[in-house]
Amino acid sequence: MTTALVVGVGAVGTRAARQLIDTPGISRVLLADRDIAQLREVAEILGPDAQAIDFLPGDPLPTDVGVVATALPAGLDHDVVAAAIGANVPVASSEDEHDAIDQLRALVPNAIAAGTTIVLGCGLAPGLSDVLARHAADMFDAIDEIRVARTGWAGPASVATVRHERRIAARTWHDGGWREEHPHGDNLVWFPEPIGARDCRPVTAGTALLVDAFPTVPRLSVQLGEPPRRTRFRRRFGDEGEWGACRVEVWGRRSGTFDTVVYGVVERTAVAAGTVLAVVAARLAGALEPLVSNPGIHGLAALTEPVPLLSELAQRGVRAAAFEGVSIA
Amino acid sequence: MKGFKRLLVVLGIAGAIGALARLRGKGEVAQTSGGWRELEGPDFR
Repeated sequence: MTTALVVGVGAVGTRAARQLIDTPGISRVLLADRDIAQLREVAEILGPDAQAIDFLPGDPLPTDVGVVATALPAGLDHDVVAAAIGANVPVASSEDEHDAIDQLRALVPNAIAAGTTIVLGCGLAPGLSDVLARHAADMFDAIDEIRVARTGWAGPASVATVRHERRIAARTWHDGGWREEHPHGDNLVWFPEPIGARDCRPVTAGTALLVDAFPTVPRLSVQLGEPPRRTRFRRRFGDEGEWGACRVEVWGRRSGTFDTVVYGVVERTAVAAGTVLAVVAARLAGALEPLVSNPGIHGLAALTEPVPLLSELAQRGVRAAAFEGVSIA
Repeated sequence: MKGFKRLLVVLGIAGAIGALARLRGKGEVAQTSGGWRELEGPDFR
């Protein structure tokens, strides 16, 4: 039996903590957040298996922790991950902002030297989208392009990250190299119903994690939809949260012909992200089979077998779908 | 006063033209044909 530490009990962290408590191999969940009032409220709601502790990024990890799950605003994961590497404790992180991801990836030599497995981008996209990209990619003999798109945001910090990513120039992977694209408007992306068509814009976000996982694929891109302005006024803690969706397109050749596979997910963004974060953390801790252990820092597409993860997520209510029909290129 | 009335007329005509263009516009979004099917089975295909 393992003790898990959840750092950040916002929209995603709270759902992740609930999922971890419901995992048989996890005996206790420690919760940490800088907002003491919210921390106590969440700990009380989650019951006796959850315990609020005094821990902030930069502090050493508690001694009995077997795995860490972080759901923090962009840029705050670094100190937690560094402390976890120092203690040789695996980490599942929901970090999805590109600068923060790059800073964390700089810790790869430390993680490898310590023999610690760190997983970044454990959310809807990056996260579940990477798993679906791997699942689709396994069907092809050669892949020409992978496109990932997401609409949806889990909480105020998530909204801020999406706005930031959409505002600045995007770096996409094009013909085996990075290419900078200045914002020049949105593209219409079709998500599963009831989300339907949404305007999305190329962003950098988790593209580097895709490049790590698919280094030979010529073109990789990530797009994000725009949060409505009313979101910041509507959201309160305890809300069920906004619906979100992701779409993954893989274009390539199989059986001698050009083909495409399109996967999608519709779920409340915080629920999907929290469930993915918890399942990955549980597998890093060995509380769920199969155990995930590969020292270094990875995205989900580079680390996990898709089917067991999709199966576990489906049992917890997060289900993916395939598009059948004619997709617009 | 005369200029104000002219401005109102111009705005009214512009609004009417805009409304007509919106109603009769043919700028449709390209549709995909098909549907979504939940992944299932041992291989989740």
